Amino acid sequence: MKKLGMRLTDWSIHHPKTVLCLATVITVLFVLGAALPSVYPKAFPWLQGVKVDTDPENMLSPDEPVRVFHNRMKEAFALRDMVVVGVVNEEHADGVFNVESLKQVYELAEFAKTLRWTVEDGSEGGVVEADLLAPSTVDNIEPGGPGVVKFEWLMPEPPSTREEALAIREKARRLPFLNGTLISEDGRALCLYLPLTDKHLSYRVYTKLKERVSGFGGGNRFFITGLPVAEDTFGVEMFIQMGICAPLAMLVIFLLMIYFFRKLSLIVSPLIIALISVIWTMGLLIMTGNTIHIMSSMIPIFIMPIAVLNAIHIISMFFDRYQQTRDRVKTMESVMDSLFMAMLYTSLTTAAGFASLALTPIPPVQIFGFYAAFGIMISWVLTVTFIPAFIVMIPDRKLQNFGSSHHEDAPQGTLAKALHAVSGFAYRKAWGIVIVVVIILGVATYGITRIRINDNPMRWFSASHPIRVGDRVLNSHFGGTYMAYLVFEPDESENRSGSLPAGFAERLQTRVRKLSRPDSEIAQAAIVFRKLAEEAPQAKGADPLDALRTRVEELADSASDEQLDAWDEALLFVEQEMQRKEVFKNPDVLRYIARLQETLGASEIVGKSNSLADVVSTVHRELFEGKAEYLRIPDTQAAVAQCLITFQNSHRPQDLWHFVQPDYRRTSLWLQLRSGDNQDMATVIDLVDSFVRENPLPASLKYQWFGQTYINVVWQEKMVRGLLNALLGSFLVVFLMMTILFRSALWGLLSMLPLTVTIAITYGAVGLAGKDYDMPVAVLSSLSLGLAVDFAIHFLEHARVLREKHGTWQAAVGAVFGEPARAIWRNVIVIAVGFLPLLFAPLIPYKTVGVLMATILVVAGFTTLLILPALMRLLEPLLFPESKTCCLACNCTTCIVSAAVAVLLIVISVYQYMSVGWTTLTWGSAAAVLALAILCRWSSKREKCQQETV
Amino acid sequence: MNTKYTANQIALLTLALTTFGALLAPLATAQTPSVANIVAKANRTAYYQGKDGSAKVKMTITDARGQIRNREMTILRRDDVSPGAKGDEHCGDQAFYVYFHRPADVNKMVFMVWKHVDKDDDRWLYLPALDLVKRIAASDERTSFVGSDFLYEDVSGRGMEEDGHELLETTADTYLLKNTPKDPKLVEFSYYNVWIDRQTFMPVKAEYYDRNGKLYRRMEVLETKEIQGYPTVTKAKMSNLNTGGHTIAEYSRVKYDIGLPEKIFAERYLRRAPRKYLRSR
Repeated sequence: MKKLGMRLTDWSIHHPKTVLCLATVITVLFVLGAALPSVYPKAFPWLQGVKVDTDPENMLSPDEPVRVFHNRMKEAFALRDMVVVGVVNEEHADGVFNVESLKQVYELAEFAKTLRWTVEDGSEGGVVEADLLAPSTVDNIEPGGPGVVKFEWLMPEPPSTREEALAIREKARRLPFLNGTLISEDGRALCLYLPLTDKHLSYRVYTKLKERVSGFGGGNRFFITGLPVAEDTFGVEMFIQMGICAPLAMLVIFLLMIYFFRKLSLIVSPLIIALISVIWTMGLLIMTGNTIHIMSSMIPIFIMPIAVLNAIHIISMFFDRYQQTRDRVKTMESVMDSLFMAMLYTSLTTAAGFASLALTPIPPVQIFGFYAAFGIMISWVLTVTFIPAFIVMIPDRKLQNFGSSHHEDAPQGTLAKALHAVSGFAYRKAWGIVIVVVIILGVATYGITRIRINDNPMRWFSASHPIRVGDRVLNSHFGGTYMAYLVFEPDESENRSGSLPAGFAERLQTRVRKLSRPDSEIAQAAIVFRKLAEEAPQAKGADPLDALRTRVEELADSASDEQLDAWDEALLFVEQEMQRKEVFKNPDVLRYIARLQETLGASEIVGKSNSLADVVSTVHRELFEGKAEYLRIPDTQAAVAQCLITFQNSHRPQDLWHFVQPDYRRTSLWLQLRSGDNQDMATVIDLVDSFVRENPLPASLKYQWFGQTYINVVWQEKMVRGLLNALLGSFLVVFLMMTILFRSALWGLLSMLPLTVTIAITYGAVGLAGKDYDMPVAVLSSLSLGLAVDFAIHFLEHARVLREKHGTWQAAVGAVFGEPARAIWRNVIVIAVGFLPLLFAPLIPYKTVGVLMATILVVAGFTTLLILPALMRLLEPLLFPESKTCCLACNCTTCIVSAAVAVLLIVISVYQYMSVGWTTLTWGSAAAVLALAILCRWSSKREKCQQETV
Repeated sequence: MNTKYTANQIALLTLALTTFGALLAPLATAQTPSVANIVAKANRTAYYQGKDGSAKVKMTITDARGQIRNREMTILRRDDVSPGAKGDEHCGDQAFYVYFHRPADVNKMVFMVWKHVDKDDDRWLYLPALDLVKRIAASDERTSFVGSDFLYEDVSGRGMEEDGHELLETTADTYLLKNTPKDPKLVEFSYYNVWIDRQTFMPVKAEYYDRNGKLYRRMEVLETKEIQGYPTVTKAKMSNLNTGGHTIAEYSRVKYDIGLPEKIFAERYLRRAPRKYLRSR
């Protein structure tokens, strides 16, 4: 490996111009490949342009059952993505219910109806007028005097007096499906809901609304929000992040390097490879048709500091050695020879840390991990080719004053002095450090158990962001703006009996008895119904009732005139039986839903719920003069049906189908939550589950959730589980690589220690501080592992060489804390500071990444420089045994450990992607480990190994 | 040709009749009748054929997603033929009795209208399962008729005098009238166009435009038959272009001049339907 790589490097050193040209050409190709189709999509249909994805649904893959169900239900209940316009008036005594404000609301609704355009495929798109919710487009139902029921537009025209304005408020407040949704419970604010044909039109709608609203004077405040708006805004902020933070990171790194090396012509090269790595990676990402997502938008800022790391090592060493020979080519060759393996391994481990994210079942995280890993390997290739070529191209005269001439002398400068002090401390207080670390680990473990897994895409915006402000204001007035839906439907797997409905015979007999009475108004009914009772048991087939109906229709057609009415009645009876399938007209079922709503309403989180039960009981009340005691579900299915048909006499009968499907076999309960936190959604899910446990569902119903708030919970759970796998996976990969690099399991374990402690400390602190464990926090754990191990690699690599040179660790420790420790510390500073520009990003997740990443790196730097020297002192005899083994295969323990780790790694991957049971995996892996152990044993006893042992 | 006149409305649920078409046909071909004439004749054809009538109506309501719901009802109509008017010229008050057969759970539900030419109509709804007779407030007749795409006003007919009429076009087969409401606040449309058959004076198509000038609603007659000498709509379609849904109404067992008694169009007959006139055969 090294030989092959070194040949590449040598070739680059001797053909610098070719390397530079090649790099330039490839870069230009990537830029064109990504930029041309983005700017001229029509001219290059075969190329993929930039696609932005801000849809939180995409955290789940499109074929994820939860998401498939979500989309099917949205379609089934004709629920569309909506732009929400909240109108609040804090100045007027009556809130928005004053003449002037309502006039604006009216105008805005009329304006919203015109927001339609011909979209790309030629169809018309925009605001869906039929489903637009505004005071002027919804119905008021009320008793209009004794014996009269009235349907009217809630606000057919803007009111002209205070009384009229307040009357609108009072009317809307009486209607459960408007109160808390259209108008706020406190009667001071209202909301317009603008459903869109396609959520991608939300930005156009948003812009137009904003324009219109800005023309309104007076005390009204308008908040334009809703998920599609949030998504669009998010996309814009994402580009701000990439446009501002990435260049800023570049600038910061540039300034740091100027400070460290003071030679512009040298440090230009790391910056160039950082830029090239970013261009290649992002170019490939775009050209392969992947989307720019909140995660992938962070790729540049991750690649840049990491890309310069290796280059810093090269320059650092070149800086140190150049003055000895004053020959660029020779210096470069010796530098590359000493650094090659360390650079390869640090790059591989870092890439492995990112690549492990592919184990997370969240597509955007997978893409991020994969491309970031790709970018890091690209930057490595460039480091071993482009950097040497570039530096060799610099004429000697420019390097005359370059580099230090001093050599591991007495410590100079603050950094050197500080590191010297640390080395002494770490050596002398080895036991103390170990004890402190153990205590810290204990506390950290406690902290980790306290971690609160929670996320809320709304909180990705900073607290002062207009969207967050709107969210806060509206949630303070309304029953909540976060929607979750609960679907009920009969479990079709049951009740496939192929027989007549339960109780059919009894009901028929009751009917026969009733019709047999002398006062029965239908002639010959008793005879006909007895005939029906005879026919009924003969009805067969998948749906016997349907077969019976066909039979009754035949009999009715051929019936005599005297029996005709009776046969009509019989047909009606059969069809009424058939309607028993329409379970959501069943009063018991509706009462069950109403009771569930009551229970949910008692919780703090559910601000309001809407259901078919509300529609029925409200209409029922209005039919009975609007008296409060009639706000209930009537007692028979027919009564429910007649309330529902009354509701359909309104201006908007189609509203009913948002709550129930026309076959009355599926209903949706709408919940408005006051918070979009996953934790709160999870609490509501638990509430429903426990209600159902205590109150068994009627009519063999089953239930399932949908809605964005619920989807967030699902991907969050998947992510946490997936990232634990990723963490474990990357830990094992890195450990395996370390074991191979150092040819010893013990050394491998040692190199893992600082970063393990670092991650424990960081996440323990997250838990103790009560910061939510959200997506960015979760993602960072496994990738920081691959990054933080670099310090340990460099430290141990130098420690081993210097220990050999000086004989004992005590003698070597000072030297390790010289130049090598300084290089490590410079790395810590460069990367940590390189991430800080993320603090200027407008979105919270970016800030979290910036802070956390900087913290992890600094802590990792400290733990490396404290724990490793301390442990090396304590474990010196074990780490530097008298006898030496030639290679991995000769060290039996190391060989077995590596084999076991490799097997475990395979097991985790298999478990992630294939549905293999744990039992099979356990037995399989146990067998594999045993076989490999025997192989290791045999391998270590080989003659070759014996010979090499001194 | 912009004569404002009291005039018509299309409506579909109705049973139409006329001896009129035949009577006035020579006149119509000879010269274009006045707008008032067209409107009046169309109104008669659509709503006043015969002195009374009955029909079984099946409505198939299809939403934008293709989901279907059905309504089956019998409509009885009786015209108030004032003593002075000739049998074929009346166009005054009327009574409608709409009895629901299906869906089974709304069986026996009744909707009744007393249509008045000079004042607001009286409307009742009887809900048997709740044992409730409700008057429906006169405020707005342009609400959905039991969840279909037809409106209550389509059932009984829109008063001719509520719109101004304008003849836009005369083709070989039809007159095209533009109808503009006199009080735009009462309705959701800004105007509607009606195509009237020149031979039968049957309104065969209507298109409604909203306040932004967008076409949002369309009625089409799909099938007509001559029954007892009266041209009669037997199949009509109403589309709501905003929701993407439509309703097809099919008329069967259409009968005219059956001698419906006045007394059955009364509140007490809501609870006790006149079974005799509602039989399925």
